[in-house]
Amino acid sequence: MSISRTTAVTPRSAGGRARRPRPRVAATGPRRDTKAAYAFVLPGFALYALIMLYPAIRTFLLSFRDWQIAPGKPSPWVGLDNYIQAFQDPVFLNSLVNSAAYTVFTVPLQIIFGLGLAVLLDAKLPGRVGFRVLFYLPVVTSWVVVSLLFQYIFQSGDGVANHLVVDVFGLSSENVSWLQSRWTGMFAIGVLGIWKGIGWAMLIFLAALTAVPAELKEAAALDGANAAKRFRYVSLPAIRGALSVVFILLFIGGFNVFISVLLMTGGGPGNATQVPLTYMYQQAFSFLDFGYGSAISFSLTVLVLAASALQYWWTRRRMRE
Amino acid sequence: MKHWKSGAAAVAAIISLGVAGCSSSPDPTTSSTGGGGDALTGTVTYWHAYSADSPEVATLQDTIIPAFVKLHPGVTVKDVPVPYDDLHQKLITAAAGEQLPDLVRADIGWVPELANLGVLEPLSDSMPDFQTFADQVFPGTLATNLWKGTYYGLPLDTNTRVMMYDDSFFTKAGVDVPTTVEQLVAAAPALKQAGAFAFADNGAGGWNMLPWIWSAGGDMTDPDVTKASGFLNSAASVKGIQTLVDLYKAGYMPDIVLGGEGGLATSDGLATGKYATILDGPWMFPIFADQYPDFTLSTSQVPAGDGGSISVVGGEDIVMTQSSTNKEAAMEFMRYLLSQDAQLAMAKVGQMPVLQELGSQLSDINAYYAQFVEQLKTARPRPVTPAWAQMDTILQDEIRAAFRGEKTVQEALDEAASQADALLAQYN
Amino acid sequence: MNTNNSRGLTLLVRYVLLAVAAFVMVYPFLYMVSTSFKTRSLSLGDPTSLWPSEPTLENYKQVLGTENFARYFLNSAAVAIVSTILIVLLSAMMAYAFARLDWPGKRVFFTLIIIGLTIPTMMLIVPQFLLARDLHLLNSLPGLVPFYVGTALAFNTFLLAGFFEQIPHELDEAMAIDGAGPWRRFWKLAMPLSKPAIGTCVIFAFLGTWDEFAWALTVLNDVDNRTLPIAIALFQGQHSTSWGLVFAASLIAVIPVLIVYIVFQRNFVAGLTTGALKN
Repeated sequence: MSISRTTAVTPRSAGGRARRPRPRVAATGPRRDTKAAYAFVLPGFALYALIMLYPAIRTFLLSFRDWQIAPGKPSPWVGLDNYIQAFQDPVFLNSLVNSAAYTVFTVPLQIIFGLGLAVLLDAKLPGRVGFRVLFYLPVVTSWVVVSLLFQYIFQSGDGVANHLVVDVFGLSSENVSWLQSRWTGMFAIGVLGIWKGIGWAMLIFLAALTAVPAELKEAAALDGANAAKRFRYVSLPAIRGALSVVFILLFIGGFNVFISVLLMTGGGPGNATQVPLTYMYQQAFSFLDFGYGSAISFSLTVLVLAASALQYWWTRRRMRE
Repeated sequence: MKHWKSGAAAVAAIISLGVAGCSSSPDPTTSSTGGGGDALTGTVTYWHAYSADSPEVATLQDTIIPAFVKLHPGVTVKDVPVPYDDLHQKLITAAAGEQLPDLVRADIGWVPELANLGVLEPLSDSMPDFQTFADQVFPGTLATNLWKGTYYGLPLDTNTRVMMYDDSFFTKAGVDVPTTVEQLVAAAPALKQAGAFAFADNGAGGWNMLPWIWSAGGDMTDPDVTKASGFLNSAASVKGIQTLVDLYKAGYMPDIVLGGEGGLATSDGLATGKYATILDGPWMFPIFADQYPDFTLSTSQVPAGDGGSISVVGGEDIVMTQSSTNKEAAMEFMRYLLSQDAQLAMAKVGQMPVLQELGSQLSDINAYYAQFVEQLKTARPRPVTPAWAQMDTILQDEIRAAFRGEKTVQEALDEAASQADALLAQYN
Repeated sequence: MNTNNSRGLTLLVRYVLLAVAAFVMVYPFLYMVSTSFKTRSLSLGDPTSLWPSEPTLENYKQVLGTENFARYFLNSAAVAIVSTILIVLLSAMMAYAFARLDWPGKRVFFTLIIIGLTIPTMMLIVPQFLLARDLHLLNSLPGLVPFYVGTALAFNTFLLAGFFEQIPHELDEAMAIDGAGPWRRFWKLAMPLSKPAIGTCVIFAFLGTWDEFAWALTVLNDVDNRTLPIAIALFQGQHSTSWGLVFAASLIAVIPVLIVYIVFQRNFVAGLTTGALKN
């Protein structure tokens, strides 16, 4: 994330690491505006801390207890028991694999399709607005409705998916029972996620692409670069920030997938398509084991944070080279 | 739990200065408890899951509540509809925050769990005329309210599963409609010839499997619900499940029993001649009338085994919360909901009454009720314990493993029983 | 000549690609629309027959005639509008501080924001409920706002920070030399130049608050205070649901979101930043 990059760059060393040529005259880099910065940050941060961080800390603390919901009942301290249980729990471990697979499947495709559509719709195309609306429609349709439709599409009988797989593409001789086993179920959920997320990614990329100064593109065109080269050498670098943002958000969203799994398969059959958050929900709200549920979600949070940090550090290293 | 409140209160004091204008006025549930009948005042909040624009909610709001208010003009009844799929989560969160309403129409499975949390009023202790009502309702429905020797609610509406089939299909197939499990098994090949699975069900949990276990003479737990070993894995229980597994292995049951979404639904399969028999509840009749108007749905008792024809009780109970500040009025409304007037009004829109007396009148309302009333005479509730949600999941997973051939039925039920024992031990 | 033909061809190719992609993306939505014009929709019909054989407005009439439906709609609108304004404002301010200013503790605060991105909100529902209770914000429509804003800040700040990063620093320097303080630079420089980003933020913030269901259901009891997603969920029954009704209600609910989208995606027009660079 470019935030640390700006703090790492001191004014004089801009020449070596900056990607854009900077005038040597004025002092480069951000300025020290501590008081103003705090004025900007504190109102929002205070609300954020109250609504998100404070409850999160509470939830974290209760993961160390056998927490009882009933007010007045004591919640005995169990230390790391919930966490130990989690990492010995085959359902939890499988759920991590499931959400990892979901992430690996859905994130690149959403980025590719979202970016592709954004590029197509960035140019002055008559009817552009109409297309932009059409591609955004999946994003605004409610999960309940969409999951229902996708259940229908992926039904085990002669549904749309089976029609495509068996009759059109001949990939299988029999109808596939999509939502009745683990990997076909995760595939179907993944397709739903991709379908719903493309418009979302497209939106962010569109915003980023429109911020690319037109002169740069014109200059490249004058130099003889065709559309593909212009994209690769002008637009792509300019939207690097957006790419990074989208990637991290989709990555986190992939591991935190919840509502689509809950509605499509409920984690079934028999925990096959369980993901960490649906498992957490079941433990906390169906079995009333909030301590264990919290341990599960915090384990997930830590893993995702570690993975994001790793990924961020790695891309920073690449960008520096 | 106390440190939560002091911490939160401190923060609240600081923040409330900044959050001006966002405060709400709490629900004006006054705590006046009128002494007798017509001196009742205050508000009674009642959470239920009747969907919007449904005949049930219309009956509640336009018939039942106004009639009650006429009798007790000082009372206001506030009914709060909550989507069914989310009612349990809302109840749990409200319990944690001590924000429960006066009355709740709770799924029967939630009552022991809520009672164990300590948020329900022990009606058999605090309601003077409790026994009068207890005597009027079907025993299976009353049993769902019992927890550790005390009753925490009263049944409100009930249902059960009966066998459903297409009479014309059986005639065409030249097969008599089976009344016992043996006959069903014997008829399976012929039904397969005619193009249908003998029996179909879409799950392997208690709701699906217990009729077969009980009808075979088995059981899930001992009568006091303290352990499952010796009961769930008894020879009779194993036989009950083995019959189904054998049917499945021979190709006479579809794989939707393994769960997962997207398979051919039981109702659709029945209507299109793919499933010969299913087990289902009274709500199927309006659904079939809407979706398959040309189809005649026939019903009969659950196929009988060595233990008779025993089905599983479903439905909802009405419970009152300990935190209610208007218990007198709430109790009175509860009594009204169990009155013949209210029960009959609801019966007209598909909610089967729990009053045994009304049994004979029901067939006048809907002819199809008769079969369910008959089945209800012997129908039993699933084990009444807070551990049920988990036990149900374990039962389902183990039985499915047996269906898939990963273990024998005996092994599956042994495993389920021992895990259930551990869960039940927490509450005994 | 050649260039005209090839330009025409690329245009055609573009249109075909877009049309095919659009059809695939929109198909489920079309199916929804089609079902909303059918009665007898307890189970979903054949997906290839999009045109209903006997189209009827019955579902729409029933939804619009449902008691309190207009009330829920207005409740949602009020909460969504107020929340969106606050979300955009507070996120932009925080994002600006992270992206354009240098100050001690910046890294710490930003890390805390990132942590917020990874925390699943479902997990926080009980402690948040207790917090709302202690703040006396339960069962209150305006009481939804602080919670909606608080939970949306991490995402939108992160998003906007990524965009604010892209603004060339020379412009900042130029204004600073002219004596403009951070606040002025924020309003006169960063915000106008980030119209696409702000537009994105508005669209997401509005959609998120308009559609929010779980929290609203948990804290709101009074029928008068409820929001639209709750109303739509209530059309689903325990044993069966008339999907045509649910779809009709969902389509009505989608309209404001689409309006916001159409209005604000006008910001996604190239050329907004060019003028500033020249200056």
